[in-house]
Formats: sequence, C-alpha cells, structure tokens
Amino acid sequence: MQRPLRGVARFAGGEKQRIVVSQAKTGAYPHDVVAQRAALRKRPRVSETLIQGFLFLCGVLSILVTAGLVYELGKESLLFFTRQQWEDTNHTLVEPLDATQSTFKMSATGMALSLHGSIRIHAEVMTVVDLRGERVTVARGQQNTVAAAHAVGAEIAISRQVTLAEFFTKTEWNPQIGKFGIWALVNATLMTSLTAIVVALPLGLGVAIYLSEYAAARVRSVLKPLLEVLAAIPTVVYGYFALTFMTPLLRALFGIERVEIYNTASAGIVIGILILPLVSSMAEDALSAVPQSLRQAAYGLGATRLETAVKVVVPAALSGIAAAFIVAASRAIGETMVVAIAAGAGPAFTFNPFQAAETMTGHIVRISGGDLSYDSIDYNSIFAIGLMLFLITLGLNILSQHIVQRFREEYE
Amino acid sequence: MYRITFILLAMLTMFMTACGGNPPTPASPQTAAPAKTTEPTPAPVEPGATGRLPEVNPLDVTGNIVTAGSSTVYPLAERMAERFHDEGFTGQITIDSIGSGAGFERFCTTGETDVANASRPIKDSEKEACAAIGRTPVEFRIGTDALAVVVNRGNTFATDVTMEELALLFSSAEKWSDVRPDWPAEPILRFIPGTDSGTFDYFVEAVFNKDKEPHLSASNTQLSEDDNVLVQGVAGSPYAIGYFGYAYYAENADVLKVLSLNGIAPTAETVDNNTYPLARPLFLYSDARIMQEKPQVAAYINFFLTYVNEEITAVGYFPASDAVLAASREAWLSAMQ
Repeated sequence: MQRPLRGVARFAGGEKQRIVVSQAKTGAYPHDVVAQRAALRKRPRVSETLIQGFLFLCGVLSILVTAGLVYELGKESLLFFTRQQWEDTNHTLVEPLDATQSTFKMSATGMALSLHGSIRIHAEVMTVVDLRGERVTVARGQQNTVAAAHAVGAEIAISRQVTLAEFFTKTEWNPQIGKFGIWALVNATLMTSLTAIVVALPLGLGVAIYLSEYAAARVRSVLKPLLEVLAAIPTVVYGYFALTFMTPLLRALFGIERVEIYNTASAGIVIGILILPLVSSMAEDALSAVPQSLRQAAYGLGATRLETAVKVVVPAALSGIAAAFIVAASRAIGETMVVAIAAGAGPAFTFNPFQAAETMTGHIVRISGGDLSYDSIDYNSIFAIGLMLFLITLGLNILSQHIVQRFREEYE
Repeated sequence: MYRITFILLAMLTMFMTACGGNPPTPASPQTAAPAKTTEPTPAPVEPGATGRLPEVNPLDVTGNIVTAGSSTVYPLAERMAERFHDEGFTGQITIDSIGSGAGFERFCTTGETDVANASRPIKDSEKEACAAIGRTPVEFRIGTDALAVVVNRGNTFATDVTMEELALLFSSAEKWSDVRPDWPAEPILRFIPGTDSGTFDYFVEAVFNKDKEPHLSASNTQLSEDDNVLVQGVAGSPYAIGYFGYAYYAENADVLKVLSLNGIAPTAETVDNNTYPLARPLFLYSDARIMQEKPQVAAYINFFLTYVNEEITAVGYFPASDAVLAASREAWLSAMQ
C-alpha cells in the first residue's frame, strides 16, 4: 500500500504549511516523488537574502542613530551638571596682582561677587574670603590651579554651579544670572501642547468618525488626502499664521489689553491645527479597521448610525485612537518653529495662556540663534533641555505602547 | 446674530491685515554674477597722504567678502554693500545679523569672517582670542547710533524719563505705576535685545553699571537678537517698552514713539554734541593681513569709509565727526602699509 507523502513547506514570510500529497494523484513511484521532494525543499534565493540583510541594516542604523543621539545628549548634559561654569562679571582688575598677594582691587562696576564663592581670573581659580566694596580678599590658586600674576584689566569671572535639585524644583530659568529652574520652560511647553491637544482631540476625532462612518467612499477618497496636505505645509508658515492671524483674532475677541502679542494660546491653537491631520488620519485608520460585522450587529439590534459609531466602533478602536493622540501630543511637545515665532522669547512661569512664555524648544532656538560661544553656560544648558525634552517624549511613547497593549481588542 | 457677524467681521479684518502686513525681510546675502577672470589689482596706496583714501573702483576687485555681527550695524552695512554692488562689484557680500558678541566670536575665535560689525568696542578677552589665531583687530569707527528707548504710539502717558526711571523700567518695576504713581497700574511688557547683542551690553553698561543681573531678572521680558521681533512686540501693546538702534525706530516711526532721556530727545544735534545719554559709536573691525591678502575686503572698507556719510542719515543713524572718520581712514592707510 502506498503511503501519502507528508512534508512541511516553508513559504516566504516564515509561515509553515503542512502538505500532504496523495500518492494516487502523483502517479508513478519513486521517480516523481523524488522530483517533488526536490521541488518542496527550501532553495537558497540570493536576492531575498540581500533584501533581508538590507532591511535588517536599516533597522540597526536607526537604532544606532538614536543611541548615538542619546549618548551625545547625555554626555553634554552631564557636563552641564558636573562642570563648573564661568560667567563674566564685567569687573576687571584696576591694580596689578602678583602671584602672592591675597587682596586686590577691582573696578567698581559689574555683577556682584558672592562671599565664599569661586571666581576666576584667566586660568586661576580663587575663593572669595572677604568682600569690602571694591576690595576683595581671596584664597589664591584653588581647585588645582596655580597662583599667577595678573595685569590691570584682567577680567573676573564668577562661578555658577547647577544642582539637580535646583534644576527640577525651581521655576526661574536664566542661566546667565545663575537661575536654573527648568519648570519655567517645561510649563510653557505643557501649556502650548495642552492647548494643541484640546484643539486637535475633538476636531481630529470628529473628522475621523465622519470619514470612517458617515462619508461616502468617493467623498472620503477626496477629503482624506486633502486633510493630509495640511501636514505638508512648512511649520514656519504655521508660525507666521499664528503671529499674524491667530494672535490678532484672539486679541479682537478677548481684548488687546488682556492678550499679549506673543502668547502661548495662539501658538497652542495653531499647533493643534498642525497636528490635526496626524490625529484624524491615524484615528480614521483605527476606526476603519473595526470589522464590518460589528457595525452590522449594532444595526441589527436597532442602533442608529450615531449610536453605532459612538458606542460600538469608537470603543472597539480605542487603543488605536489613544495611540494617535499620544503620537500627536509628542509631536506638539517637540514642535519648534511655531512657538519660536509666536509663543514668546523670554522664560516665564505663568499659567495665563494669553501671556508670553518660552517653551523648551523655543528657548533652544533663540539661544543658539545668535551664534552661541562654545563652553558658555547657555551652550551647555541646551543639551540638558534637549535631554529633558527627549525624556518627556520617550515617556509618552512608552505610555502609548502600554495603552495599545492594554486596551487592544482583537476581532477575528 | 450680532455677535456672530462681529466675529466674522473681526476674522475678515484680521485676515486682511495679516495679508497686507509687511513681513520682516530676512537677512539675505546678495548673490552676484560669476566672478571675472581679470587679476585683482590692489588699490594703490599713497603713503604720506593723511586721511585721504585712494580712489576705490569696485570693478577692479573680485572675490567674496564675509561679514557678521551687530544687528544695529546691519541696515547700514546692507545699504553700503548694495551700493558697492551697484557700482560694479561682482563678488558676493555676506552680512549676518547675529549680535556684536557673536560677530567677534566668528571673527576672533573661529576666524570665519573678514569683517566684524560691532555696536560696542572690542573687549580685551576678544582681542586675546583674536591674537590666538594670529589676527590683530583694526578698528574703524563708521558712525554714531542714538540707542532709542521706544514705547507704543498708543502710550499717551510716557514721553520723558530720567535715567533712574529708565533703570527701574527695565528692572525691578512690575507696573508702570511703580515708576511714577500717576502712570497706569498695568504690567510693563519689556522687549530687549538678546544677551549676544552689543546693544544689550551697551545698555547694561550705560544704565546698570555693567551689572546685568537686575536687567535680566526683570519680569515680562522678551529677548531677541532680531530687532524686528522687538519692534513687533512694542508695536503690539500700549504698555510695552523696548530699546534698539535708532534706525529700527526711524523705519517704524508710525507705530512707535521714542522717549526723551533726562529731557533730551535723540536728534542729530544732541547726538553730535554728546548730550543724549545713550549715543554710542558703531564700528567695523578687520585685520591688516586679511585686508592685504584680500583686496576686495580692503576696497569694501575703503568704500565704506568714503561714502558712509552719504548713506548713514537715510538709514537712520548719525554721521561721526570729521576727525573721527579721518582717524578711521588713517587706520585703513596704516593697515595697508
């Protein structure tokens, strides 16, 4: 008795399928069987291997780039927190200072020195032990530097040290005068992003429900690409749109005295418009993926179109919609050009959306705009701000993954 | 119904103003036709002629000129570069408006530029940085700016302030009424140049005894290296105040109002006789070797010093005295020897 041939065929994509070839249909044994076995055996395909290798490399490259960015950000931020920073006081020596003297006279005008603080003249670090007007008494050659002679006119720099505690608890940001409270910037970022989400969330979801549940196929095929065109507009255009259209509009509605020319509300609303296509497009994808049978079941139970959309389809697609919101929120937090143009150009800790406040990204843009000198406090600070920004968006992305997994409903 | 009509009308008006408004023009380097093949001929130098520069012919020189620095000097430099082009210069002149400090950074530390524009004299530390890369800055004074302290046209109460009140306005005072009791109890919105700017440095020196701490810790302060941002800010509210180079006031006099200081308004007269408290010199800096190796740079500065007085008033600044300009020309001559 002839047994049927059994074997496992492996298809591209890794699926396996059990194959049973009946002897009766295959004719003579064993010659044909050998040929068939040969046909079923996995053959090496050079082009497939190459493509697989290339795709793998793409993945590795993007991971490496991210890792490199994080490393660089982390390294420079570490410098910001650990290294002593020096800020010019505009004081200069008015008498020559030799290597042994411990008291000197400085020019009358400039930033105040602090008692027991460190100062630097050229490369030498000193500690202030007594301050009487322009007469300064110091301990020379501190922090492993060598006491040296300094000429009249040598500039005096003052030490600025940042602590993590100050960074995360204070609300005033002004590195040049030694104020390092990141919350002034974080707060402004949260204000603009929150406004953006408040605008984009209901609008985006509305658009998505309309496109997926109400619009005819032809309408959708025109509307969806049109909406996505919004995403192709350069953000600098949105920035000037905020400054020259949205701000005057807000000022006309709420009063010129109440709404400042640069304000977080205007920037936030425009960012909302900017992320709208992202929300609507992703949410629409999630809604369309809900199986038709669910809708039909709802209709069969006598539900109206609205009830079907709101009570059946949206809950079924909740994980996708939540993911859309969070991706859009990360985009809003990272948005730069709009806030740089319209939100304000000075750090301020305020909860009033009609006041100017500078966001993290806006601050980085402004500070690096005027050709920042290397090794200045401002230069080092932008990496710390960048790392903070990265951590916030990373946190949001992790949250989004968590939500997707938690609320995922699978229909087969 | 009335409300909706009002909102629609407001939107329409705003849209129209938005479309009609003049967007600030970005700093664009001028591009010109490809350079000619003729050999550059260095401008002939006549030793002994005091304060008389050799004739400059922009057609005779080729190559590019890279400059960067003060946003105050920028409109003047732009005007002179335009004229240099009009008279036949075919190379490219780049002028970056980034602030005096940043301009010196590029000139002295990275050595990327041929000329640094500045609205304050060079600091000792910047000279040292220059020496470290083998450059000796040569100073050319080109004119005088009256730093303008401006408020909105709609500000009816402030016209004249003392220097003490000025310091208060830009530091600890929260409201206008904190400075003078009869002024409104509205928050002061401040618009000041960024800390890389020579205008900022000059203001801190002249008003705050070189101590920037009170100035930077003032509330409601917006900083920008772009003076147009400041103009827009002050133009935006009757309770705003700001300061920048006089040219930016002159250009926007229809929306801004300039304040008198100690009763003295910035005019050609008060700047000339040095009674206006915030009159300050404007400079170009270059290096003798650069000028000798790049004849186009020497020709540009020569051209600048020769014709600056014909353009400076139109830009909105004030001509330097003849003696000062003669000294600048002298500096040019000795640099070329």
